Amino acid sequence: MTASSYSFKSAFKSLAKEKWINILSTLTVGSSLLIITLAVFFLYNIEFIANHLPERFSMMAYLQDPISQEDTQKIIDTLRTRPEVLKVRYISKEEALLELKQTLKDSTHILEGLDENPLTSSIEIKLRKEFVTPATTSRMATEIKKMPGIDTIYYGERIAEAIHMLKRSVQNISIIIFLTISLGVVFVTYSTVKILFYRKKEEIEILKLLGATGSFIRAPFLIEGGVIGLFGGILGVAGAFVFYFAVTYRLSMVIPMLKTLIFPIGVLIALPFVGIILGVIGSAIAIGRIRLW
Amino acid sequence: MISFKNVSKFYDHNTVLKNVSFNIAKGEMAFITGPSGAGKSTLLKLMYMAELPDEGDITIESVHLSSLKMSEIPMLRRKIGVVFQDFKLINNLTVFDNVALALHIRGISEREIRAMASESLKRVNLRHLAESFPKSLSGGEQQRVAIARAIVGGPVVLLADEPTGNLDPGTALDIIMLFRELNDQGTTILIATHNRELLRNTDKKTLKLEGGTFVQEEIV
Ligand SMILES: Nc1ncnc2c1ncn2[C@@H]1O[C@H](COP(=O)(O)OP(=O)(O)O)[C@@H](O)[C@H]1O
Ligand SMILES: [Mg+2]
Repeated sequence: MTASSYSFKSAFKSLAKEKWINILSTLTVGSSLLIITLAVFFLYNIEFIANHLPERFSMMAYLQDPISQEDTQKIIDTLRTRPEVLKVRYISKEEALLELKQTLKDSTHILEGLDENPLTSSIEIKLRKEFVTPATTSRMATEIKKMPGIDTIYYGERIAEAIHMLKRSVQNISIIIFLTISLGVVFVTYSTVKILFYRKKEEIEILKLLGATGSFIRAPFLIEGGVIGLFGGILGVAGAFVFYFAVTYRLSMVIPMLKTLIFPIGVLIALPFVGIILGVIGSAIAIGRIRLW
Repeated sequence: MISFKNVSKFYDHNTVLKNVSFNIAKGEMAFITGPSGAGKSTLLKLMYMAELPDEGDITIESVHLSSLKMSEIPMLRRKIGVVFQDFKLINNLTVFDNVALALHIRGISEREIRAMASESLKRVNLRHLAESFPKSLSGGEQQRVAIARAIVGGPVVLLADEPTGNLDPGTALDIIMLFRELNDQGTTILIATHNRELLRNTDKKTLKLEGGTFVQEEIV
């Protein structure tokens, strides 16, 4: 207990004594963690959008013309039983024409002269979002096309692919950014603690001869690394707040869409802890194993 | 208490200690003498495991040093108070904190540390310099700080490497008196010195090293 309070005391003494190197490394850690936060912020929002894109995705199955009501109902029922399917909407050829007329508005004269409805009835199929992947959509399309009564099927294969790619890259980029920056933070505290450790080499030799344990020697350095990480994390949080209010908040008055941006508070709370963990890891590597003989 | 059996130590091709054997009983006070370079410091280093022997067996308080795991070394070193030939004081700590450090290492509470460190500094007449830094002290004063730190933890064994090397004859005698006092209280003491003056009129065991072996064992 007293040994640990002594460790804290000597850690803080060393932090104050070597203040420039410590301030510098805290600033470096702080800006690195800020980069992580901003990256998380952007990627989180992209991911949020990407997660909602599948809701807009649908497949259109055009029915053969003519088709009996019974056959139509059978197709609808079969589709509804499929686990991938979220919603099925039947659009009769009359409805389709009505929609077309609404879309054309003033240009309805295009349709003049047609005494018969040229459109076919169709079924709009919305999939559950986890099934909006290139593989599933193309498999579904092939299977639906084989069903009796289906003429053609249209679906945005490109959209399905784009959504999929977007999500995949967001995940990959997040992992890469997090790993790279974390490694950077570990390296910064590693170098700092290594320097401090070398400066105290003589003192450490004396401690060993006086009967200090490895952990007694190690503790102040781990605490120092942790404190650098902690303050780096707090700086990162502060920077993120400044960024959020100064940039996003003001911009959203000009670009209303930015209002829907979400700030992941969890990341901010975690940041100082991430800093501590990375700082302690860095110093642990810097100290290595302490040999007492 | 302390037992060396056929201990040898080589540095590269240089034989520093050759087949050294001796016993020091519990509560005994003894001198190791011999000219500079005879291997006195090396002999002491083997006891607190700053160096490891190349041959032979060393036992301290029935513990074979060769059987110690690394995690057990701190406990051994806390039983042994060492006055290093080069003092090994930490220059950015005050005299008081240098002495207190030996107690912090043992996990002793702040309050006890204050009392024990003050008491120890009093014994070497350095209480008035408690807040000074080692660099501002004379060689003799630094040596006394080193002694205060060596005895503050109440060691079972006290090893002193040339503990009077930097002291004037008067102070040297005071220090030897302090060692005798500690010895009377039960501490086993081993003093390495090339100072023949200290040995004059002593009734203590004297081991004389020369060229890495004992040339004679005088018990006066
Ligand atoms: N770390 C070392 N490496 C090589 N030689 C050493 C080392 N330490 C001591 N020696 C040599 O061992 C011999 C004994 O040294 P030491 O034990 O310091 O003698 P003393 O204390 O009796 O003066 C000397 O010749 C010294 O040069
Ligand atoms: Mg010597």
